Amino acid sequence: MKPVAHSLALAGWAGRYLWSGWAGAAGLFCFAAAWQAGHEFYGSFVLPSPLETLDAVAALMREPQFAEAAKATALRSLAGFALATGIGTTAGAIAGYSFAAMRLMRPIVTVILGVPPIAWIVLALIWFGSTGGSAVLTVVVAALPISFAGGLEGVATRDRALDAMARSFGAGMWTRFRTVTAPHLVSYLFPAWTTTAGTAWKVTVMAELLSNSGGIGGDLATARALFDIPRVMALIVVVVAFALFTEYALLHPLRDQLERWRSAGLPWGVKR
Amino acid sequence: MKLRLEGIGHAFLGRTVFEGLDLSLDPGEVVALIGPSGCGKTTVLQIAAGLIDPLRGRVRRAYQRHAVVFQEARLLPWMTARDNIAYGLRVAGARKKPRLGIAERRAREVGLHPNDLDKFPIELSGGMRQRAAVARALAIDPDVVFFDEPFTAVDVGLKRILQDLVIEAAAREHFSALFVTHDLSEAVRVAHRLVVLSGHQQGIVADRVIAGQPGQRSDRDIFEIVEAWSRDPAFTELFDGGRDT
Repeated sequence: MKPVAHSLALAGWAGRYLWSGWAGAAGLFCFAAAWQAGHEFYGSFVLPSPLETLDAVAALMREPQFAEAAKATALRSLAGFALATGIGTTAGAIAGYSFAAMRLMRPIVTVILGVPPIAWIVLALIWFGSTGGSAVLTVVVAALPISFAGGLEGVATRDRALDAMARSFGAGMWTRFRTVTAPHLVSYLFPAWTTTAGTAWKVTVMAELLSNSGGIGGDLATARALFDIPRVMALIVVVVAFALFTEYALLHPLRDQLERWRSAGLPWGVKR
Repeated sequence: MKLRLEGIGHAFLGRTVFEGLDLSLDPGEVVALIGPSGCGKTTVLQIAAGLIDPLRGRVRRAYQRHAVVFQEARLLPWMTARDNIAYGLRVAGARKKPRLGIAERRAREVGLHPNDLDKFPIELSGGMRQRAAVARALAIDPDVVFFDEPFTAVDVGLKRILQDLVIEAAAREHFSALFVTHDLSEAVRVAHRLVVLSGHQQGIVADRVIAGQPGQRSDRDIFEIVEAWSRDPAFTELFDGGRDT
């Protein structure tokens, strides 16, 4: 009885989630229409039409080297994402618990924020040369402050009354973190993480392009040198598709599962 | 003797709340702690429950487990009612299956419908949340239960029902309880003994045994006790709104 009810609830959620995709698709098609209008106004050389771009995407997909490049970019942005969220969230959470740590870390984060990303790329190029390391470092530096702020706010705004309740049952530090603070923290971390995921893709491609270290960014540099405009557009579309995929196929479903309690109180018509 | 507070004193930011306070709980005894607002009732309870350390004095405990029912339900919003009721057992390290079984039994005792157990706190009414909070406290089979004005926010009818629940549970399971309230008739209804805390840092100004047993006093008895005591000088502070601070 119980597993059946559970899988039914899951199926209901999946149906609602997929159905909400129509609204997103409508928005994207409006954008495509504006793109087509721009194409008709400026011509193929400046702005290839959506259809030409899709053709170029299809051609890209058939190239074996492209799969390699996409894999390299994906791994770099994933590594950058993991490091940025891992270090940022942990440091932010510690700062949220300890006033002294917050006083110490805040200026460091401000300094990191103050240095322009392009300067980090130059530094990373000197330190790592033309390897993936420079892209990863740039992602970490660009995205770390967001996770830090999320972790800090989340822990600092934890419900102390619930914490006292847990203590009254004799719950230790770790249990209280897991059952009281962490679920609250999640609602602060997800916006930070989705932003980080988007930043990770963009910054990886930028760093690859500038450091000439292969990947989709390297492809983009070559296409630009050859004035292969449809290919440039196709690569952009691919990166955007990757970013959309991470956000809507990985992060949002995870969030919905973790935060079921939040939507439970909404009246039926308001869900999504 | 289950619990004894000896010479307890506490201050917030240098402002003394109370000094030299002594209080004890016998096995199976429900003590109501009453006093005007701001006199430090909740602080006494928090010290007794080990949530804050007193500046002076000591707390002696001769029991295994205690539970606290707070003024607000304090359910974890991300857990279902069932998991919330089982929370104390989970903290104590009980396995999932037995602890959920106990949670269901306790939910029945406090009058929660089985269908409500899969709901999140946000989907429950205020009264149901408070019932769940009482069930969560009872679930760990406590030797001592601390009630911190638990039924202040519920309506009069429900208040009676919840008081009766506490009276029944205390009689059935023989736990001792410290019941903090600012409502004299609530105190007279649920407790064996009544302790009045002064609003002027004078500690305990009255300590009376209430005639009869909780649950067996009629509404008339309660009314008469409250009437008699409200003319008593020890209780004047309770009814005297103009407290000079």
